[in-house]
Amino acid sequence: MSTEVVNTARAKKQAMGPYGTVGKVLGELDDRLGVAKGGRSFLDKIFPDHWSFMLGEIALYSFVVLLATGIFLTLYYIPSQAIVTYHGAYLPLDGQRVTEAFASSVDLSFAVRAGLLMRQMHHWACDIFVGAIVVHMARVFFTGAFRKPRELNWTIGTTLLILAIVNGFLGYSLPDDLVSGTGIRIAYSIILSIPLVGTYLGFLVFGGNFPGTAIIPRFFMLHVLLVPAIIVGLVTFHLILLVRQKHTQFPGEGRTEKNVVGSPMYPVFMAKTTGFLLIVAGVTALLGAFAQINPIWQFGPYDAARISYAVQPDWYMGFLDGALRVFPAWSFHGFGYTIPLEVTIPAVLFPGLVFNLAFAWPALERKFTKDHAMHHLLDRPSNRPKRTAAGVALLANLLMLFIASSTDVIANFFHLSLNSVLWAMRILVVLSPFIAYPITYKIAKEIQLLKGGGKRKTANVVSRTAEGEYVATPSPVYVDDLHHELAATEVPTFIEPSVDVPTDGGVRTVTR
Amino acid sequence: MTLSFKRASALVLVALFAMGPLVLFMSSAHAATKSPFQTTRKNAGTPNSSQVTVDPTTGSITSYGNDAIMYSSPSPALAALGQALYQQNCASCHGNAADGVAADGTSGAYPNLVGLGPATIDFWIESGRMPAANPRSVQAARRVARLNHNQALAVTAWINSLSPSYPGVPSVNLTSGNVADGAALFALNCAACHTIEGSGDALALGTYAPSLRNIPATQVAEAIRTGPGNMPRFTGNLSDYQVRDIVKFVTTKIEHPQNPGGLGLGGLGPVAEGFIGLALGVGLLALVGFWVGERQ
Repeated sequence: MSTEVVNTARAKKQAMGPYGTVGKVLGELDDRLGVAKGGRSFLDKIFPDHWSFMLGEIALYSFVVLLATGIFLTLYYIPSQAIVTYHGAYLPLDGQRVTEAFASSVDLSFAVRAGLLMRQMHHWACDIFVGAIVVHMARVFFTGAFRKPRELNWTIGTTLLILAIVNGFLGYSLPDDLVSGTGIRIAYSIILSIPLVGTYLGFLVFGGNFPGTAIIPRFFMLHVLLVPAIIVGLVTFHLILLVRQKHTQFPGEGRTEKNVVGSPMYPVFMAKTTGFLLIVAGVTALLGAFAQINPIWQFGPYDAARISYAVQPDWYMGFLDGALRVFPAWSFHGFGYTIPLEVTIPAVLFPGLVFNLAFAWPALERKFTKDHAMHHLLDRPSNRPKRTAAGVALLANLLMLFIASSTDVIANFFHLSLNSVLWAMRILVVLSPFIAYPITYKIAKEIQLLKGGGKRKTANVVSRTAEGEYVATPSPVYVDDLHHELAATEVPTFIEPSVDVPTDGGVRTVTR
Repeated sequence: MTLSFKRASALVLVALFAMGPLVLFMSSAHAATKSPFQTTRKNAGTPNSSQVTVDPTTGSITSYGNDAIMYSSPSPALAALGQALYQQNCASCHGNAADGVAADGTSGAYPNLVGLGPATIDFWIESGRMPAANPRSVQAARRVARLNHNQALAVTAWINSLSPSYPGVPSVNLTSGNVADGAALFALNCAACHTIEGSGDALALGTYAPSLRNIPATQVAEAIRTGPGNMPRFTGNLSDYQVRDIVKFVTTKIEHPQNPGGLGLGGLGPVAEGFIGLALGVGLLALVGFWVGERQ
């Protein structure tokens, strides 16, 4: 009886090899699909660690939250403008004739378990999604990450921003409440204001005159099917390009145009990014639970004869609303036609100009700087004062337009005359880029001259020698400001590593 | 003779034409001095009162209305006290006879109060807008009333005794009344200025629609029926039953909204929401990224 018994748990585990069940499953997969080769390089993928590279992840993960909560909402929301009589938990609406879309949204908020939480999380996630895209885009712009070879990804990103804004507006409109209905009314008027084709386009989109009964079902289809599908596709392409072209990095010790310095996908980056997904979902859930957003039951159903004052769109549409508010009431009447310039210029031409400028910027910069080289190292914003100043000027202008969308709230809150607030905003909207540009340019130029910019200042120790001479010696850099390398990590060898893995530190360098 | 007759008749005609506007002007000037703008029960918007009480001694209507709202004139017995209070608190601007004073040529700055009706006078005093903190301000602000309820009624009684007029001070029967109908009427008639949440908002040239939170039912009804300041006077288009429904909605659901979903963020709508979304949402998450990432 000297035969070894091989059916003990330990023996089975040993028979599995050093990586256990996971290794066995992966081995089986590799036998059939050949995942090891791609998986090896994917797990070894190096991502630079700078915090500002995480901003895009906020957008990505809030989009995940949007998809998850959105699926829940579609289970209860009814995209119909058929009129029903509301009988539900919200007393002031009891017995009112409302659309099914509105009734189902109110029921979703009052009668469905966790319905209001999901609705509020969905709305907050949307505000965060668009906000994170803007902040991420600003990071990419000010650090010059859009330069060759990444112009295509910049274009995809800008398209994603537009789609996010459009889908946000579509979703905001779906409850068919008084406030969002006013937004649809404005959108209809903006479509009408397009010269020549406006009326036809408006009737095409709305299936007839405003308001009709087709717009909510159509917006629903666009909001839950078409636009999200395009967004998912473009996000995928955005990330594939990111992996394919490798991430940019800030210049620093050991970092060149030829390499990428950072943490590997597994385990460091994977742990960070999974944690970040959970934090984004957690912050969204906290906001959804504790901060009310868009209380549609208070607004009541939309009715073309009703209007509420103090109506603003969601923040990402604010610059358009502000542009409409501050633009003077000019219109063209002649040859039997009317062109409402007070709508066409601020709501059609202006956003068209802004977004086309964003699309064209990489090409414009190449043309004016005659810089056609490949760039993998990022700029410090202060080292490109003209680009930085131009970006800040545009942002200042958009910020002023955004503030102008709440002229009435400002006037009421600070007890000012609405007219003076409006005029102040008109002046600020026009002047802001011209104020922001030179100030930013000057600051950037000054920062260029600073040594050790971005670091905390250290004390100069002044000592007096025996001869009476005073000598100033800078004290050492703060310990916190020293760059700490991450601890070395063992790379599992499913197959032989394709690159040399240095063992002196966890931060690795791979050639592009 | 025929010629002189023709000439004479022509002259008379011309004279009549010339005097026509003069007569109209005279009559209007006469009206302005002798009988000021007077609200009758008809133009006060309550034509179908089912319950009318008439004072048997004077023959004037002391109260009228129905089971939704009763409008009553304050007791004439208070008039003497009212006159004294008026002289102390109101006369320096509106004049000793309550017939208004022109302020530095600004017509209408200190209006004539005679004939405005008890509801108007009572509203302005009890909402604390009168006596005005700053008579030159574009719009008198609501504040703690200087005169108490009985004093306000006394002043109202005296001014009404100068020329009895309408509407009387309303007393709204809130035990009946439909909040849902009130909400719908509110959305149709009131939300355009006061906002659908009743928060109020700025209007043109320094005027504003005030917040409707914490307003007594009587004052809400008085404002609807008399149209203080910029507010339209809702008379014929809203019945007493509809006004009662609106008052019930404002004093119950605007005051205590049935409002789940966490902190209301001041009822400021997407302005506050965008601020929270960007500052708390994106800002906090960017900080987390800053914490997780490298800062070199």
